[in-house]
Amino acid sequence: MSEPLLEVSNLTLDYNLGSRKMRALDRISFTLGKGQVMGVAGESGCGKSSLGLSIIGLLPTVAEIKRGEIVFNGIDLLKLPEAEMDKEIRGQKITMIFHNPQNALNPVFTIETQMTDILCVQDKYRNPGSRKRRQDFKRQAIERLKSTGIADPDARISNYPFEFSGGMKQRVIIGMALSSGTSLLLADEATTALDVTIEAQINRLITELAAEYGTSVLYITHNLAVLSEISDRIMIMYAGRVFEMGWTESVLGDPWHPYSAALLESLPGRQPRGKRLHSIPGYVPPLDQLPRGCSFHPRCRFAEDICRRQVPPLIEVSSEHWSACFLDQKRGRDTWQRI
Amino acid sequence: MAEDLIRIRNLKTHFYQGKGLLSRVFGQGLKIVHAVDGVSLSIKKGSTFGLVGESGCGKSTLGKTIFRLVEPLEGEIIFEGRDVVKMNQKDLREFRQKAQIIFQDHFGCLNPRMTAGQIVAEPLIMCRGKQVSQRSIEHEVVRLLRAVNLDPDAAVKFPNEFSGGQARRIGVARAIALNPIFIMADEPTSGLDISTAATILNLMQDLQDKMNITYLWVSHNLTQVKYMSDDMAVMYLGKVVEMGRTSEVFNKMAHPYTQALIPAVPRVSSKQRKQTILLKGEIPSPINPPSGCYFRTRCPQVFKRCEREEPPLLDLGGGHFCACHLYDGH
Repeated sequence: MSEPLLEVSNLTLDYNLGSRKMRALDRISFTLGKGQVMGVAGESGCGKSSLGLSIIGLLPTVAEIKRGEIVFNGIDLLKLPEAEMDKEIRGQKITMIFHNPQNALNPVFTIETQMTDILCVQDKYRNPGSRKRRQDFKRQAIERLKSTGIADPDARISNYPFEFSGGMKQRVIIGMALSSGTSLLLADEATTALDVTIEAQINRLITELAAEYGTSVLYITHNLAVLSEISDRIMIMYAGRVFEMGWTESVLGDPWHPYSAALLESLPGRQPRGKRLHSIPGYVPPLDQLPRGCSFHPRCRFAEDICRRQVPPLIEVSSEHWSACFLDQKRGRDTWQRI
Repeated sequence: MAEDLIRIRNLKTHFYQGKGLLSRVFGQGLKIVHAVDGVSLSIKKGSTFGLVGESGCGKSTLGKTIFRLVEPLEGEIIFEGRDVVKMNQKDLREFRQKAQIIFQDHFGCLNPRMTAGQIVAEPLIMCRGKQVSQRSIEHEVVRLLRAVNLDPDAAVKFPNEFSGGQARRIGVARAIALNPIFIMADEPTSGLDISTAATILNLMQDLQDKMNITYLWVSHNLTQVKYMSDDMAVMYLGKVVEMGRTSEVFNKMAHPYTQALIPAVPRVSSKQRKQTILLKGEIPSPINPPSGCYFRTRCPQVFKRCEREEPPLLDLGGGHFCACHLYDGH
């Protein structure tokens, strides 16, 4: 495995909403290597986005990180003062592509203003005392637009966001997020609102730019099929916990956790026409009403007594493949006891 | 072979921009949006017809035009031997009992001030209100909620108390309330999680088996259309570019657009990462569509003729149609 860039260990995050306390992330640990693409998948409400936001330090005020470490290039981001975070990390070394390209751009400023703004601020942090003005970065901004494949960037840069289509807005955002200085890109549902041909273009763009700049990517999505095409490793999350993690081929080709297996079976692409799809009964429980033991047990077809009592730990079930389940599906016995 | 339930001939729906007073005063010309531009297709009784295409290609407008929620410019829609375009209000009302829609926005289509029970009962009251008692309507609502796997207690809840998948089910229950023979499902699983989407797909198939409903399945999710539909059409800028048996379209992929669209769909396969033809650019505006073939601006196999002539829908044999000059013998 390549040198680690990001090491998250035991990250635990609570949302305090008055009387309700929700555990959004529960002891999340993983390592992301340099230049790797890691996919984070799960149903809505499983904590995928909270994970992204805690890494870049943009959590809402009701969030409280209980314990854990987020070590990025040897620095614990959680201990870093806010000013340092702004200066060194956020928007510089770590950037994020948000959920919704329609809302991530300010409608009352031109693309030029918004792009040069970022470049200008980055420059101020990198070279204190720099007297460069926003206008001096126009050339660079146009270069970035060009690298994301926008036709006629010289003219388009003075347009407003409404003059761009969804796919083009997403390209602008990627252009803002990816630069030579970025070493970690957090892509949160970057292609959800886009059409398939545009989605394929954007995903190709992210992986190509990542390969070119040696950027690592944390790719958050609910679309397992996309991950199968672009990610090196996959992490499956459920109700704030990591359920399964490993190389893409081994997680999707040979899933160990019943939840991952069930998710794959509910995709229509794998079933012939007319055959019923498998669906997981019930719903993801609200985070303040998690069941005892394994949070998946009420929906799991293999649930046993032990699942109702204890939380299964994440165990390395085969080489670099972890799964958090008492049941070893294939051998029909407890991995827990075996190890 | 089953007979056709719906036959559409050369249907056109155009929208007008700049019709208002302001643009007339300031002298801006009338702009015509060619939303549906000469579509012909037929849907067999009891089958599922998949309609795919990227956003803005006119697939939802086509669906709405069939119900005359949008008035067509020209063309005919033959439903059970009668032309929907020529129907008067009374006939239209009757037609709309036999044909129903499941809308795309699953919360938006439910009135937030009505309970699920009232929502499902509304079509019953509208159409049979005078002949049936309150009691039998309540009875029917319970039966419908059960049919879509919802708890009968749900009848007293308001839409905001439901999850996305449950809201969808209420939409389905309302659509099947009058025992329709035709349902248009517009992106029936958009915005749902994988597992929830699977339950909706299963439910829709069960209903089709039980009630022999014909579906028009409008979606941009190709995997789903492949799984659900018997026949399908691929639309691009208001026109059908390829049409045929779903298996045929997926296996043969005749039109260059289909050839780019289908492989672009990500698939879970641990084996190999495929190299696909990526289309350049995006759909042109339907206000000023390109001359000749509408797809020529993005087509990797474009040649001279495409600019001049609009390709007709050619029969490739076995009910497989494709609108591309590449398949024209001369």
